Amino acid sequence: MTALLELKNLKTYFKRKKTVIPAVDGVDLVINKGETVALVGESGSGKSITSLSIMKLIPSPPGEIVDGQIHFEGRDLVKLSEEEMCKIRGNDISMIFQEPMTSLNPVLTIGEQIIEVLTYHQGLNQSAAKLKAIEMLELVGFSRAKEIINDYPHRLSGGMRQRVMIAMAMSCNPKLLIADEPTTALDVTIQAQILDLMKDLSKRFDTSILIITHDLGVVSEVADRVVVMYAGQVVEEALVEDLFENPLHPYTNGLMGSIPSIDEDHSRLVSIEGNVPSPENLPSGCRFAPRCPNAFDRCFSELPELSRKFGNRSVRCFLHDGKEGQR
Amino acid sequence: MISINEAEKASLEKKSSESLLELIDVKKHFPIKSGFLQKTVGHIKAVDGINLKVNRGETLGIVGESGCGKSTVGRTVIRLYEPTDGKIIFNGKDISHLSESDLRKDVRKNIQMIFQDPFASLNPRKTLRSIIREPLDTHHLLRGKERDEKVENLLEKVGLNASFINRYPHEFSGGQRQRIGIARALALNPELIIADEAVSALDVSIQAQIINLMEDLQEEFGLTYIFISHDLSVVRHISDRVGVMYLGKMMELASKKELYTEPLHPYTQALLSAVPVPRKKGSMAVKRERVILKGELPSPANPPKGCVFHTRCPAAFDLCKQVNPDFKEVKNNHFVACHLYT
Repeated sequence: MTALLELKNLKTYFKRKKTVIPAVDGVDLVINKGETVALVGESGSGKSITSLSIMKLIPSPPGEIVDGQIHFEGRDLVKLSEEEMCKIRGNDISMIFQEPMTSLNPVLTIGEQIIEVLTYHQGLNQSAAKLKAIEMLELVGFSRAKEIINDYPHRLSGGMRQRVMIAMAMSCNPKLLIADEPTTALDVTIQAQILDLMKDLSKRFDTSILIITHDLGVVSEVADRVVVMYAGQVVEEALVEDLFENPLHPYTNGLMGSIPSIDEDHSRLVSIEGNVPSPENLPSGCRFAPRCPNAFDRCFSELPELSRKFGNRSVRCFLHDGKEGQR
Repeated sequence: MISINEAEKASLEKKSSESLLELIDVKKHFPIKSGFLQKTVGHIKAVDGINLKVNRGETLGIVGESGCGKSTVGRTVIRLYEPTDGKIIFNGKDISHLSESDLRKDVRKNIQMIFQDPFASLNPRKTLRSIIREPLDTHHLLRGKERDEKVENLLEKVGLNASFINRYPHEFSGGQRQRIGIARALALNPELIIADEAVSALDVSIQAQIINLMEDLQEEFGLTYIFISHDLSVVRHISDRVGVMYLGKMMELASKKELYTEPLHPYTQALLSAVPVPRKKGSMAVKRERVILKGELPSPANPPKGCVFHTRCPAAFDLCKQVNPDFKEVKNNHFVACHLYT
């Protein structure tokens, strides 16, 4: 498999007066062609900032990509001008957001919004764009696409709006789709419809997906590979089966224990003590050490590297340092 | 061993025979007003005929998708809403149409609520001391030093440091604020606590902490919970019995074991199959056949005739379009509203 997108040591910092907030602090990430990668973490872990950095949509100031590279098809997006980025956004990389209510324009019809994308990026004329828009809406499962196209967003339910967003994002046949919590605002039965649709589309068009979520259930449903983030850094990366079979990092382990199972009864949940550290005030050493049940002296003084283990997985933890060899 | 089992059984039977709260055909309809004169042009049938018993010391989970009326049930029980029809019997007394002052006298003390949004449910201008002591003051219970001791005691019970007493809510994280909300709910030693999406706004690691705390407190104070949530896994974890709502009606109610292993109603089956399951190590889970429901929830202002679920039901037949099925006990303590089981 060839890498479509590769992040190398990406650092996105936010500067506020005298303090610097390292929201994303040295993230390495690879997305191969046709692959679905899930970025998992709790609020404040930097997962959304990572995705916005890829699109170069970080509000600047105060945000800035201070270091690192974003390689996309042989080009480094960090170095591109805003003009060149505009050609990549929508065409090559597109994005869907968590809140379908706020990401559609309430005063334009659904049709106008999809047609705008097509005329701008693909250079289609109005009538061709309209036909294509109807086709896209049918593709995402609207049976009355010809009528929906004249409706305004407020007439649609949350699930339908999210499908419109997907239609819009897929209309230029992007190589990479970034989905930031695409189903978090939806009910489970609607979530199942949307996840199904995303899986189907990625297979059909060979689109790579970067899905950002905090829901491990969703991860196991759609992803091939998982990247777990904590406090701005990647702490573990593995194939989805491996991760659920045998989580290596104590944080990943804690996350799994925190989720009540729908199939089994547990007497008590294993919770992670304490809270996520605030990014202005990160602990020295391993960032998870203050909450880690297995922490020892070294963890509090030294930051472990994200090191590659056998079977294509990486983990940032001294417990697994040197063990299992680097093949 | 046997004697312990028998004692356990006896206590269980005693537990289940005493019901703390009973809802009889409770309805809550909200008028839709329109036009210059604000005439009532229709009704949103948020809750439309719910029958329910909550036993002392148990946790009853209520699940359903948004707009199914689960929160309205909670708010009607605590009498933030007056029911349109039906009876709410709490501790043997009909509280459905009590006046505000009568409610305050002996009902409100015994039913408390924990809300979803820990950021919106605490007054940002008050210290923890005044937030937590407010229920004590309203009911003229404790004064002076005793009252402060009680507040400190409550803070420690919910896992916060008693020295936080003079701090303001903005100084705390979401999980800590939810603990403050729980301390406030506990201040009056209530019998029943209604938790409306109490852990939904929290990150998973924090969510687990709060669920564990709620379970510990239940054991310590003999609390009864009504746990309202859209998260089926959380509800399974915390509840003894679970009710499934759809469009203002209770579709199925059973012990959690039966509901999750042998769901009878087609809606429950679809709902359970739609939950994405993390493939955990050593999980005995059989992969469920996924039933993807077509379409969306109909509007509660204009619910379908007959069974409210028939428009999306994969098993619907002619009768379902005509007649609304009764909510009946089809197995021991397993209630379901579906024509397939009549």
